[in-house]
Amino acid sequence: MRRPRSLLGANPPATVGVLVIGAATLVLPQVLSAPNLITYVTIGLATIVVAGLSLLMGFAGQVSLGQGAFYGFGAYTAAILAIHGWPPLVALVAAVVLTAAVAAAVGALLLRLEGHALAFGTLALQLIFLSVLSQTPSFSGGAIGLTNIPPLTLGPIAISGYRSYAYFVWIVAAVVLLVSRNITRSRPGRGLRAMATSPSAAAAAGVGVVSYKLRDFALSAAYAGLAGAIYAFFLAYISPDAFSVMLSIEFVIMVVVGGLGTVSGAFVGAAVVTVIAQVLTSLGTGPSLPAQLPNVLSEGVYALILITLLRLMPDGIVGLASRLTKRLVGTRLERRATLRPSAGTVTGPVLAPATVQADGAHDAPAGGDTMPSRGGRTGGAA
Amino acid sequence: MSVLLQYLVTGVSRGFLFALLATGFVVIYRVTKVVNFAQGAFVVLGGFIAYSLLGAGVPQGLSEVLAVLASAAIGLLFGVVTLLGRMSTIASLITTIGLALLSEAIAMLVWGTTPLTYSGLSGHDLRFGGIFVQPQYLLLIGVSFVVLASLWLLLDRTYVGKAMTACASNPYAARLTGINVKAMGLLSFAIGGALGGVGGVLIMPLFPITYDSDVNLAILGFAAAIVGSLTSPTLALAGGLIFGIAEELVAGYWSQANETAVALGLMILLLLWQSQRRQQAAKLI
Repeated sequence: MRRPRSLLGANPPATVGVLVIGAATLVLPQVLSAPNLITYVTIGLATIVVAGLSLLMGFAGQVSLGQGAFYGFGAYTAAILAIHGWPPLVALVAAVVLTAAVAAAVGALLLRLEGHALAFGTLALQLIFLSVLSQTPSFSGGAIGLTNIPPLTLGPIAISGYRSYAYFVWIVAAVVLLVSRNITRSRPGRGLRAMATSPSAAAAAGVGVVSYKLRDFALSAAYAGLAGAIYAFFLAYISPDAFSVMLSIEFVIMVVVGGLGTVSGAFVGAAVVTVIAQVLTSLGTGPSLPAQLPNVLSEGVYALILITLLRLMPDGIVGLASRLTKRLVGTRLERRATLRPSAGTVTGPVLAPATVQADGAHDAPAGGDTMPSRGGRTGGAA
Repeated sequence: MSVLLQYLVTGVSRGFLFALLATGFVVIYRVTKVVNFAQGAFVVLGGFIAYSLLGAGVPQGLSEVLAVLASAAIGLLFGVVTLLGRMSTIASLITTIGLALLSEAIAMLVWGTTPLTYSGLSGHDLRFGGIFVQPQYLLLIGVSFVVLASLWLLLDRTYVGKAMTACASNPYAARLTGINVKAMGLLSFAIGGALGGVGGVLIMPLFPITYDSDVNLAILGFAAAIVGSLTSPTLALAGGLIFGIAEELVAGYWSQANETAVALGLMILLLLWQSQRRQQAAKLI
């Protein structure tokens, strides 16, 4: 028995949310001032990175503290190729492919280890990346960086100016989010979801745990490389300062804020953290205030977010919102779902929703793209 | 030859700093299964507190001891925060990243962003054959050695040490025999804090420290701890010496800018080798 489809799909609140956000992203570039447009582009770029990292943390249960390095690697690859006369679009694609290849090579070795080894291994990669940048001034511009990166052109269309970048970045971000959403609902996605709960159970059910983790890791690096490459074209200037360890930690914070393993959480986390950082910078900057105050404020707030959020709302803002909407709107759907045990409730075992989806019923659990198993009562990542 | 000896002396003293950090990782990980990213923060905060106490006129020696005690208290506090509630490995790692950021923010607010240092053990450089050694290096090596040796005695020869080891091998059984697993976890954090503080007060006269030195220190301590698979204090000491000497030789014979990159490359190779070994062990079963 299929659930009758309404105009708004299986999950009306989520559909309305997507429509509202979609409309807002189209309108905003027209009304925002130049500084706000930069923030807007920054949020879009961060969303792309966080979408990948969220899949890695939420599904593979791994933390990468080197996402800033992949972002930087993509930026430098695209910039160096474009400066040497490659067509910008080709340079962009090459940057994404190369970043993914590097991540696959590294991940093939590091992903066999437990979570903390990958965290420190990727952090080491980031520090090595920064060290190499400072050691190769003829190639990477050293501490000064690279200037005069040509603007991005898509065939005959040249993307220039904040407004066109705003549209371009958000179109890319939308595609990335759509790809992520489809991955989480595909066969590999279901495998990843199973893996998130119990790697050994997933392996027993025929999921190639190592290969799935590796693909997840390479994909997250590819997203970071893509965002980094766009960043290089957008600013036309890159330097090692832009790819500090702090950037990698910020990406992790965005994932935690948005909610691990949720697709819309990537956007929410990126937006919330970027705006918080902006507000704190403007609060902490003033003629009579100490120069380090903005950094003190942002690091302090980031610290409190990391320390408290995993305990208070381990599934992030999106998880909390979906639980609230479920309580307000979804009780009717929920009641129907309990009449059909096969439908798989939100808190049910991880493989249950997967089998339902395999039947062809579009039976996403209320709350859109949240991972069903990770209700977060026991806390956080696997 | 004398140049090499000079590098070795510096390398060994750096190695003892890494060993103190690595042992902190090991003590905390063994008991709580938490990889404490904030391990480097103990060094920074301990050193900075000693700096302020010395500046306030507290005599040398007493300042350092008080700073180490303060680091232990900070460690205990971090332990309380990290061990609050049941958390997965990754969630507790992220919590300690938060604590490291908090320490950085506090250090930046109180002590600013410029590198800090203070004069350590006074006296002329000691001469051994063809090389000159600052007394502070010998103090660092001597004190670290005594601290690590007494920690080893504590873990191996006392009831508390046995209880901590019991928590490490089987927390459930340890609880059944009446060991307070939570208290042991907090104790391990306090020991980790004290070890970092010892490193901080000893290293500050030799290498100026900034508020954000903690990440580099933490990752090198972790690298050394990896030599002992995060569980063996003796191998962590060996790891510390390996990384300290390797860094110093790279800095001396090649370039200072490459020392960290080489050490971290070494760490990644080590992680890979261990994973290889673990896989082979898994195949044998």
